[in-house]
Amino acid sequence: MKISYRRTGGFAGMLISHSFDTDTLPKTDAEELVKLVSAADFFALPSKITATGADQFQYTLTVETAEQQHTLEVGETSAPENLRPLLEKLRLLARGKPDL
Amino acid sequence: MSHQFYSIECIIPPHIQNNIAEKGTPEQRKKVMGSISQSAAIRAQRVLLTETKALVEPVTVGGKQRNIFNLNFGSNLPGILARSEGAPPTGDPAVDEAYEGAGATYDLYQQEYQRESIDGKGMRLDSTVHYMKGYDNAFWNGRQMVYGDGDEDLPEPQRIFNRFTIALDIIGHELTHGVTQFEAGLVYRDQSGALNESFSDVFGSLVKQRQRNQTAAEADWIIGEGLLSPNINGIGIRSMKAPGTAYNDPLLGKDPQPAHMSDYKTIDYDNGGVHINSGIPNHAFYATAMEMGGYAWQKAGQIWYVTLRDRLTSTSVFADAAQQTYLVAGNLFGGGSLEQQAVRAGWQAVGIQIDAGDSGGNGGGTGGDTGSGGGTTSPGCSTALVQLLDNVKALIENRSR
Ligand SMILES: [Zn+2]
Repeated sequence: MKISYRRTGGFAGMLISHSFDTDTLPKTDAEELVKLVSAADFFALPSKITATGADQFQYTLTVETAEQQHTLEVGETSAPENLRPLLEKLRLLARGKPDL
Repeated sequence: MSHQFYSIECIIPPHIQNNIAEKGTPEQRKKVMGSISQSAAIRAQRVLLTETKALVEPVTVGGKQRNIFNLNFGSNLPGILARSEGAPPTGDPAVDEAYEGAGATYDLYQQEYQRESIDGKGMRLDSTVHYMKGYDNAFWNGRQMVYGDGDEDLPEPQRIFNRFTIALDIIGHELTHGVTQFEAGLVYRDQSGALNESFSDVFGSLVKQRQRNQTAAEADWIIGEGLLSPNINGIGIRSMKAPGTAYNDPLLGKDPQPAHMSDYKTIDYDNGGVHINSGIPNHAFYATAMEMGGYAWQKAGQIWYVTLRDRLTSTSVFADAAQQTYLVAGNLFGGGSLEQQAVRAGWQAVGIQIDAGDSGGNGGGTGGDTGSGGGTTSPGCSTALVQLLDNVKALIENRSR
């Protein structure tokens, strides 16, 4: 499974983007990501869920498996509750890494 | 979570989009997809605008009423009440900074501009701290302020960000997003969005300058001072004095803010670079305040505040802000006054020329009569009426001060 992650906006306005591949990630991270994508029911989510307010992060996620692919653009507080653990995991994994 | 606001685009599930995309000739497909996404975008924009108004059912209390909630690294807002108005310090720096910062911001608006809280009607100031784990952000969600702790979960040598309540101007910045939402309602995209961001930086910085009792010349004009850890080469997130110079670090890159229209950036992220091009109006305010001298929150701040409250609309751009601050300066301090000239010089410093044919004064100085205004904005009867009302309002405000 491949995940591309892009985060823009926020108070600091910094762009962070990173790609993850469960084949190359450490096993625990890879397994957790697969579980979180499933828990979020990611492929059934719409393609865009906007949020109001200001300085919220906006995330663009593309998840690709052998069978399907889906891209979602979502604002921080408009993310469904079962998607939030996936966003948090990716945010922490991408932190402090150069863009890839 | 109690509220979810899906935009209209969510109503078209991806599998239906896929169906459309799979059927028909390429031309039909393109046409169908184009019309769907276009109308969806327009409707989404409209929904977004109405949502912003509908989303807020302000708790109006009157006076200064602060509630600080603690989420203990969770995400379901607002969290557990940790400190309410009048309660003693808790000893938790994030809780206490959010409390004190909201108070200092309330005081600036109330004591300097006679504004009662975010909505002008005494709305309760709600803030949540300890939002999620390793959360390097602060935001305004349409009804309250939210603060993360930066990289609290990492060992100190690996940290980039400190907690977001650490800088008073960040708190003033977030609260001002609420003020803007209730006043000009600047759409959070492109130039109107960059103006929205700039007003937040302006009043965020003014809260800090006022608390430190600093003149424009004494202030550092840094936004987010202390937010970056000692591991990072930077003094803050933005500089209003010298946009583009706040940080330069291998991990974070270089501060991308322009200070002049000739460096305006067309950007496909951050809602069209709202946190980036805000450097231009930020620097215009700085240049205006420096030109005027003294405390920036007094004259320059007053002009910017009245402009935000009475003059700008959701789609205003930089040129509108320039023209309107100029006219407001004329109303408050007289056409051709030193203050009005300072506003003109401030915008000129960032490459925005103001049509000086209409100085919007109230009789004093040159060109005070709006009816004689030349150039492209020849005022009609209604404009003259609005101008007259503004003049009366300014007179009353000056009296009551
Ligand atoms: Zn902001």
